[in-house]
Amino acid sequence: MTGLGAFRAALVFGLLLVLHYTLRPLLGWRAPIDFLVIAVLLAAVRARSGTSALLGFALGIATDSLNVEGFGARALAMSIVAFAASWMKAIFFADNLALNGFFFFIGKWAFDIIMIVVEQRLSGGAMVTQLLLWSPLSAFNTAVAGVVLLIVLRPVLEPSRT
Amino acid sequence: MLFVLCIVFAIAARLLPETIRDPIAATLRQTIVRPLVSLQASAERTRSSWLNYERLSVSRDSIALRAMQVPALESENERLRRLLSLGSRLGWGFVAAEALHGQAIGDETTVALSVGSDAGVRRYAPVVAPEGLVGTVQSVDPGTSVALLWGHPQFRPSAMSADGSAFGIIHPHASEGAEGFLLELRGVQFRSALDTGSLVVTSGLGGVFPAGIPIGTVVGEIKTTELWARTYLLRPAVPPPDVRSVMIMSQQRSAAGVQQIWTISKADSAARGIARAGDSLSRRDQALATAARIARGDTTSATLPVAASATAPSPPVKRPITAPRTQPPPRAVTDTTATKPPVAPPPAVRPDTIVTSPPPTAPPVIPPPPPPPGVAGVSFTVPV
Repeated sequence: MTGLGAFRAALVFGLLLVLHYTLRPLLGWRAPIDFLVIAVLLAAVRARSGTSALLGFALGIATDSLNVEGFGARALAMSIVAFAASWMKAIFFADNLALNGFFFFIGKWAFDIIMIVVEQRLSGGAMVTQLLLWSPLSAFNTAVAGVVLLIVLRPVLEPSRT
Repeated sequence: MLFVLCIVFAIAARLLPETIRDPIAATLRQTIVRPLVSLQASAERTRSSWLNYERLSVSRDSIALRAMQVPALESENERLRRLLSLGSRLGWGFVAAEALHGQAIGDETTVALSVGSDAGVRRYAPVVAPEGLVGTVQSVDPGTSVALLWGHPQFRPSAMSADGSAFGIIHPHASEGAEGFLLELRGVQFRSALDTGSLVVTSGLGGVFPAGIPIGTVVGEIKTTELWARTYLLRPAVPPPDVRSVMIMSQQRSAAGVQQIWTISKADSAARGIARAGDSLSRRDQALATAARIARGDTTSATLPVAASATAPSPPVKRPITAPRTQPPPRAVTDTTATKPPVAPPPAVRPDTIVTSPPPTAPPVIPPPPPPPGVAGVSFTVPV
């Protein structure tokens, strides 16, 4: 990835970070959009697997500082999702918006499953409801937002294959 | 390798004790995450402000909608208070009813009432309101009844002026628009001229409507081809929008008379004026002031004034009837204990259409109230 491409990717990454902490609380949805997962997945396709895992770990541990009881859960989930996305980037980011949306959906849902299981904050019916109802809805919203962002930011983003 | 290290560190962070975990989390919050947290705080404040604005807008709209209903509620409250007052003055022999207005053609001259024969309503019973006469019951069902309003062509009560000097028959005023709700007093003797603003009440002739129920006030005279009689245009005492809550009087109550019911409010103001003039405290103050003036040698105001300057009685009111009349000049109705000497029946009075009547009873002739004691040489005029 060239320097200009890295700069553009960093710019988009920062934009998604800001959207996660402004637009997401402003909307206040019960099944919110996870811009951090979108940012990690878009960054993972442009970096190597180890770098993607490190980026996911850093983003996850920073987010965990706001939820001390589950410290480390998001870091673990982000690391796994980012590594897997980078590992499957040839399939993940084929030039097909529907396929990209599908993998945004899978990535967000997998992130929620790992985080909820590791965090152990929910149990019983509440955990089942969260995993089978609200997480899929949030994943769907995240997928739609991710596809829209891909369309909007396509002139900025450069698809790179390393 | 990096991936494995990240997994290990993540698991280690998950298993860290609180004493190590909390300082690390605090350091991250105060450094890297702090600007992001401030962004989130601003977004949360914006959202809560927007939600509060929505709630305030809804609340303001609800308040505005309720405020629009306040005048109607106040008006209805006032009407119900007056109706209660009328009921207390009547005392017995009446039933309250709600007027059920329809939207069909012709419903402006008839109205359905919410009570019927089950409540004691009978045909030809007078329908009254706090302001005066509304109409008469035309048909009666067990639970409802239909009343003719004053605008109906068949509604023609016998009427007279408040002082009993002029008699006539009420007819609806055949006109379009707003004047269609006015009334006509026909058949008034030519010598009995009524001034604008004169009150016209039922005369009690015919036996359907007792004497003394206000019908309307004179608006002006209508020129007709009849040279021996006058016709006056009246504004009804009860405006059409106010025909909502009414009372239906029984025959026994009508026969007992309602002379003082609709004039009590006026009599109250006259009585208060008389009471003020005779107030012992004010007279005492005046006497002291007069004594002081006499002691100073001021002889120009040795006589007592009529009343204290702050409590002067009501000024004289111009009597509405100015034409010469055959009967002795009656006064306004204020004294409930005065006797009612019979007088000759008025000539050329057309009977009303409801019931043919026996020889009419005399209109009330009330002598003026006696002047208060201690005030000589003062004439009291009572407002009508």
